[in-house]
Amino acid sequence: MSHKARMSRYFLELMGAMALYVAVVAAATRVAPGMGSAGLKALVCVSPMLPIALVIWAIARHFRRVDEYLRLAMLETVAIAAAVTAGASLTYGFLENAGLPKLSMFVVWPVMGAVWFLLACIREFRERRQG
Amino acid sequence: MKNCVRELRTQKNWTQQEVADRIDVSRQTINAIETGRYDPGLPMAFALARLFRKSIEEIFEADR
Repeated sequence: MSHKARMSRYFLELMGAMALYVAVVAAATRVAPGMGSAGLKALVCVSPMLPIALVIWAIARHFRRVDEYLRLAMLETVAIAAAVTAGASLTYGFLENAGLPKLSMFVVWPVMGAVWFLLACIREFRERRQG
Repeated sequence: MKNCVRELRTQKNWTQQEVADRIDVSRQTINAIETGRYDPGLPMAFALARLFRKSIEEIFEADR
């Protein structure tokens, strides 16, 4: 499989999983409030994690398919993004003790995603400048 | 490690993308090799050697 074909397949798998995620979140948020059973409600509320598992699977497959340099670069970017997010969430946790408003755990992933995206853009910019 | 990938590529009037397509890697990977930011593993080094019809030692030279 060529590099272009690998990238096309990755975006197809990722976008498919993300579209499924949006659909499941929309359905779960509509159905869950009217449910009586707490156990069943919890199951419906957590159901978007099934398409998220597909997203993780698509990313993991992509990591295995790309060439060695891209794999190294991507893993380095993810590692730095995870470290920055850990530092930021820990810092904010301490600041909550100082009176800042408590934030939902939902904040963590968008922060990591944003840092990941920013680092990928910086890497791309630097490589284009050096190229 | 030093390499002469850029020189070999320009001799053939290929772009980085063309070299990348021929050995089935990304353009960024060829860029990283040419600029010395990345030393490829053996399979990629062999692929480059086959592409340019050179031995690995003719393309890559260890730093002293």
